[in-house]
Amino acid sequence: MIGDILNILSNTLFSMVPLTLAAVGEIITEKAGVVNIGLEGIFILSAFTSTVVTFYTGNPYLGLLLGLLVGALAGVLHGVISVYLKGDQIIAGVGFNSFAYGISLLSLVAIWHSHGSSPRVNKIVTLSFGDFSFSPLAVVAILVGILAWWWLEKTPSGLKLRACGEDPKAAEAMGVNVYRTRFYATVIGGALTGLGGAYLVVGWIGQFTKFISAGRGFIALANVAFSNWNPLMAIVGGLIFGFFDALSIYIPIKIQGMTGRVITAESNLFRTIPYVATLVIVAIIMKKVKTPRALGKPYIKE
Amino acid sequence: MSRHEVIIEVSISLLIAFATGALVLTILGFNPGEVYSVLFKYGYSNLNYLLSKSAPYIMTGLAFSIPAIAGVFNIGGESQLYVGAFLGLLTAYYTGNPILALIVGALAGGALALFIALLRVYRGINEVITAIMVNWIFYYLLAYLIAGKFYNPQYSHESVPVPPSARVPSLAIFVIAVAVALAYYYLLYFTDLGYKLRVSGISPASARYAGFEPAKSVLTSMLLAGIAAGLGGALLVLGITYSIDDTLTAIYGIGFMGIGIGLLGRNHPIGIIFSSIFMSGLVIGGQWVELKTGAPPELADTLIGVIVIALAVPYAYSMLVRKIRGEAK
Repeated sequence: MIGDILNILSNTLFSMVPLTLAAVGEIITEKAGVVNIGLEGIFILSAFTSTVVTFYTGNPYLGLLLGLLVGALAGVLHGVISVYLKGDQIIAGVGFNSFAYGISLLSLVAIWHSHGSSPRVNKIVTLSFGDFSFSPLAVVAILVGILAWWWLEKTPSGLKLRACGEDPKAAEAMGVNVYRTRFYATVIGGALTGLGGAYLVVGWIGQFTKFISAGRGFIALANVAFSNWNPLMAIVGGLIFGFFDALSIYIPIKIQGMTGRVITAESNLFRTIPYVATLVIVAIIMKKVKTPRALGKPYIKE
Repeated sequence: MSRHEVIIEVSISLLIAFATGALVLTILGFNPGEVYSVLFKYGYSNLNYLLSKSAPYIMTGLAFSIPAIAGVFNIGGESQLYVGAFLGLLTAYYTGNPILALIVGALAGGALALFIALLRVYRGINEVITAIMVNWIFYYLLAYLIAGKFYNPQYSHESVPVPPSARVPSLAIFVIAVAVALAYYYLLYFTDLGYKLRVSGISPASARYAGFEPAKSVLTSMLLAGIAAGLGGALLVLGITYSIDDTLTAIYGIGFMGIGIGLLGRNHPIGIIFSSIFMSGLVIGGQWVELKTGAPPELADTLIGVIVIALAVPYAYSMLVRKIRGEAK
């Protein structure tokens, strides 16, 4: 029994990392007034990049770093499109998700001649205390959330960033460069999401698989709304959504272990748990949230 | 925007997409000239296959575009297509009646889309998040139902089949899809309801002033969208695949593709018919590319992604036009 609880808690901590990192990154992006729904695509692309880098160098930390950089690059692309070219942010994000899915599978075939998954690669260290284990990136995710909260709420530059998302005209009048602030915020958001995506492979699963992000980018977006754009609450949200994710993996394995029966078909049913939970949680809390006022609207200087 | 400006804008997006695709192919060690020539030579040569395969695309294209015109972002065409395909299949299997199966499929899709719209209207939940969660829930639910409940005893990785009596000829599904697109065109541009939907998309405030609640346009447009996507799923199963495999290979992605198709067709029902045929050729060509050159069919996803990204930037396009015109003076 204790073993079961520790196991689920461990898995919760493993699962919360990308959900928290991406949500905190997206909070920074959205507080500046840009919405990036391409998180799913960033997860996929950076997970794939870190797999390739780790496969060829054997160094998962390098994989993690390059995954972060690819996320930042995706942020640059999204920033250029949404801030400077004033494109439709939602459509650009949707297009990026499709592009990332396609190109990662194209590359999977080109490099490993496989349609399903990459070979296994080295992983970064896992911290273990008996039955209880977690990734050091869980600690990083929590620290990043606290740091982001402190930055956004307690520093002058955080205040300026928030002004860009609430009232860009007033921000401009205050002497803030709205374009540049929004652009950097989008790049930071991309980088944090990229770190989360790379972690999926080198911190957790150990190989790239076709549906590796499995909607987690959108669960992270739900976490942004859940947290009411507060990075501290995004940590809590990461743990809650991570718990359901962990449960959906744990239950079928447990049933199979107890009954000895193969339950491939039924395990699909348990895989719906995190999505149902996300839907229910968001449906309960959503009425009360307060979106940044200028979110998603391109800022055009007169 | 004038008609020829639309054509130029769409052409630029396609050009950027194919150039990016060529670059990607070169980097990955494929010969882009060879890939593209196979893609276009085989993708568009079998007219019957090309048109029938475009039928579900027309439907998911409409499923994206009708709400988009009314200001709603329906990214749930995927699950709306799933339920239409699955319930259409079951109806066909148990009754052998294709018309009943198509109706059930359409209504199932409509009901699911309405659920998303209700959550948005009454709980204020962003339809993008809801729709993606619903997409995944139904992906796994269907995988469970097919593998665990409604499997074919002879081929356990497939669902029960559509009986021959309920199958629809492949060209007929294209005709049905075009008829629906024309009906939606009429509804949008020649009726009072269509006018209200379009006004709601441009300005919710004006719609309210004209006595039409934005909430109504969310609900109506999503119902119309879901009906289209659900019918698309039923057409796919009754006219092309005749069953569903337990990893949903043949139906996964058609809903997402509807977004690219809708945008490429400039959210216009007639434009969507043409962009669907174009995309259908890309997908068929993509399968041939795999057969002939080994490059995977996901090339189509990559190209569509770039097309969509390029279409997201009309402002950049108009800047470009201004610059060219300014310099030409």
